[in-house]
Amino acid sequence: MSGRVRILSRLRRSLSEEAGVTDEERREAVAARLRLAGAQTAPVPEIARTEGAAMLERFEAKLRGVDATVTRLGAMADLPGAMVEELRARNLPRAIRMGEEPDFAGLDWAELDATRGVGRLEEPATLSRGLCGVAETGTVALRSGPDNPVTLTFLGETHFMVLKASDVVPGLEEMWARVRRAGPMSRTVNLVTGPSRSADIGQVLQLGAHGPVAVHVFIVED
Amino acid sequence: MTPETQAPETQAAEQARPPKIAFMATCLVDLMRPSVGFAAVKLLEDAGCDVRVPQGQTCCGQPAWNSGDRANAKRLARRTIEAFEDYDAVVLPSGSCAATIIKDYPEMFSAGDRWRARAEKLAAKTFEITAFLADVLPDAKVAAEAPAGVGKVTYHDSCSGLRSLGIKDQPRALLGRVKGVEVSEMVESEVCCGFGGTFCVKYPEISERMVADKARNAEESGAELLLAGDLGCLMNMAGRLTREGRPVKARHVVEVLAGMTDGPAIGEGSK
Amino acid sequence: MTHQPTTPQFKANSRAAIADGGLQEQMTKALGNSMAKRAYASGALPEFDQLRDAARDLKNHTLAHLDLYLEAYESKVQADGGQVHWAETAEDAREIILNICRSVDATSVNKGKSMISEEIGLNDFLEEKGIAPVETDLGEYIIQLRKETPSHIIGPAIHVTVPQVREAFRTHHPHLPIDRDLEGLDKLLLEARAELRAKYFEAEVGITGANMLIAETGQSVIVTNEGNGDLSQSLPKVHIVIASIEKVVPTLEDASTVLRVLGRSATGQEMSVYTTFSAGPRREEDPDGPEEYHVVLLDNGRSAMVGTEFQEMLRCIRCGACMNHCPVYRSVGGHAYGWVYPGPMGAVLTPSLIGLKQGGQLPNASTFCGRCEEVCPMRIPLPKMMRHWREREFERQLTPAGTRRGLRFWASAAARPGVYRAGARLAAWGLRLLSSGGRVKRLPLAGAWTDVRDFPAPEGGTFMDRYRPDADGKRGAKR
Repeated sequence: MSGRVRILSRLRRSLSEEAGVTDEERREAVAARLRLAGAQTAPVPEIARTEGAAMLERFEAKLRGVDATVTRLGAMADLPGAMVEELRARNLPRAIRMGEEPDFAGLDWAELDATRGVGRLEEPATLSRGLCGVAETGTVALRSGPDNPVTLTFLGETHFMVLKASDVVPGLEEMWARVRRAGPMSRTVNLVTGPSRSADIGQVLQLGAHGPVAVHVFIVED
Repeated sequence: MTPETQAPETQAAEQARPPKIAFMATCLVDLMRPSVGFAAVKLLEDAGCDVRVPQGQTCCGQPAWNSGDRANAKRLARRTIEAFEDYDAVVLPSGSCAATIIKDYPEMFSAGDRWRARAEKLAAKTFEITAFLADVLPDAKVAAEAPAGVGKVTYHDSCSGLRSLGIKDQPRALLGRVKGVEVSEMVESEVCCGFGGTFCVKYPEISERMVADKARNAEESGAELLLAGDLGCLMNMAGRLTREGRPVKARHVVEVLAGMTDGPAIGEGSK
Repeated sequence: MTHQPTTPQFKANSRAAIADGGLQEQMTKALGNSMAKRAYASGALPEFDQLRDAARDLKNHTLAHLDLYLEAYESKVQADGGQVHWAETAEDAREIILNICRSVDATSVNKGKSMISEEIGLNDFLEEKGIAPVETDLGEYIIQLRKETPSHIIGPAIHVTVPQVREAFRTHHPHLPIDRDLEGLDKLLLEARAELRAKYFEAEVGITGANMLIAETGQSVIVTNEGNGDLSQSLPKVHIVIASIEKVVPTLEDASTVLRVLGRSATGQEMSVYTTFSAGPRREEDPDGPEEYHVVLLDNGRSAMVGTEFQEMLRCIRCGACMNHCPVYRSVGGHAYGWVYPGPMGAVLTPSLIGLKQGGQLPNASTFCGRCEEVCPMRIPLPKMMRHWREREFERQLTPAGTRRGLRFWASAAARPGVYRAGARLAAWGLRLLSSGGRVKRLPLAGAWTDVRDFPAPEGGTFMDRYRPDADGKRGAKR
């Protein structure tokens, strides 16, 4: 008998026979619960239910609260120029690494050394397109794939992320709704809330433990 | 006769009679500090209660229960239930003994056991004294003025009372009614003093580490008097305070509330 | 690391810890910070307690259907091209992992922080087999250099002082200039970052734990602040997730509920920096990610807890709040507990996993102060479960004979009020006889008390003798 069978039958014995519940009933309960996927049955906190301008404001404030920085752009076309500015302000080389994101493909990157592909050992600056921003916590959700290689999120010393204002959602519930709507589940869904940090040395919080030292979010008007 | 067995008209007729309150001294008060018992009885009588001290009382059984000795714990629980179930309410000068009756007794007996219902009934009418005075008898009278020599006090929240019964504001509210008493909160008033029943002798080094913090915090509060609602914790803290030669004295909160602080503080010799 | 448990020596361990001034200072400072952060974060969310209830309920539901959720989860992982391995014991899990490592000729593995890895003693085992494990969480890295075990489940190096970190780096990074400046904390962080960065690209296998497994989607979830877990799982050819069976939750919405209480309880964060949901190996169109994705589901005694009074322990989400708030843990630190899981959650879990004979000290080393239960996001009744262990000890006669005799003697006296009163009278009289100035300085047979504090003398006369209640409980005439 395999470990799998032994573990499962031990559980079944305790949970079904000894608990006086039939497997049939238990299967129904599980199916019912899984059918609820997409609907939150637990309380949704007030902070996850903001709307409109207040929601955007909260998102920005929360981003800053987790040591990220934010700028607003009028249009996606302004992104390359704004990126040049940000890199200069941070004393970073004029280079950016990104994926095959269609929103970035049509832009004029001539002023930068813009390369496409996965993260490498040294990545001073990387760029990702977020799927949505969560006002509840200042979190950006990303889907991995050719458009957004997951390694860019963790290897960039400074990680830039782009969202449209309409990508900002109030809380985790709407975030999952957007993830579900975006198509089949990507290999990873990454929720990023500020730059990497650690307090493992001397219990003092420092930014940039292994992942990005800095996180910057561009919010583009629709 | 329990109130539930009375006919409705008798109940109405007896509305006016003072509540018959059973006082359980607890083993530590009985043995170590009877004056706490007299102070508690005074507070209850001043509040208009008909106070009774059932002869059958001994110990609630908490030491057995916490040591994993379920059989003896149940044995003492049954005794206590028998001794106290016929009164309108049961009041104890200890949060941890009260919590044993209120929280643990019902858990000791399985659902089918006839003692379960009796345990639940008793639990529903059992109170720690400061909670009883503050929550159930809003007109309770406390000493109008601070007894001589009592001014700045600090209050240690004993764990069972605080976390099992939610006793936090009651003793402070009552102390607030005594003119001349100022409560100066110490840091970590909600952190365990390291008594823990048999813990303090099973793990003396850890207990010492904890009670040393407590003694320091008590003194640093600037209070002259450390109060609490549990004699176990008080014996532990007082013993450490005197051993370290700190100037803070320790008393049970009811001594101050009843204005009965003539005798020496815990662990102090007679004047 | 597979250190033999030193749990039976808990008393000796704790004495040594209490005598260690550096450790005491470190613990007081670190835990003070953690408590303040949790208090702030939980206080700032009005629905926090409701969310704790919801988290408890969803986990109770999951545990009541654990076999079925595990099956649902497994089939989802397989549908995404992942492989699920079931390990009944620590040994099974080690063998499974070794075989996977050997299948790709791995010489080194990168590890994200995982308590399950500690539980199964993976590092020592892999080293024995010629595979170098590299801990990438900064705290785990520090203690790996120092050849120690974690002393806290989320802050593994919480006991290590800054000078000790500096010393470890100087000793273990010999290729760097000996006179380099390591004064500032930032210098230490940068050095660790640089050392580990290259290693992410070298390992053939990355091993992470899982904070949750999602039955609905087959995803494993890691929650981190450093990003090391993600680098460990994204860059190597093979990603192995090791998770214990109780980590499964039904849906993504359920995961949100757990996340809302987890970060706040652990570090006072509304959300940790990186929360990553991973499903299967890299897809055809993916430019990065592992080529193989394995999940090792570890039982190691947990299925035997289901249906017992210890089932509720399986709700634990490993936030560490119980130990942050435990005065005993603060006094003795994590290593005194002698095995993988310290603090209140360890005091309950350890006897389940290594047996009551070896782990029995831990549930006894508690004052039942209840702070752990008060802060537990999953509302696990930790003191009650410690008491259940004491009951089992008592039933199996593992409680020391002296204690048992004492309890029996005292209980039979307490069951007879007349006898009890006489005993109390005698005790009050005897204690007064031994006292002077209101206290007893040395009490025979109770040195454990009087070694560290005075024993306040009884006031004189018992309450019952002085009150002299009549048969109705009314006060007797004054003598």
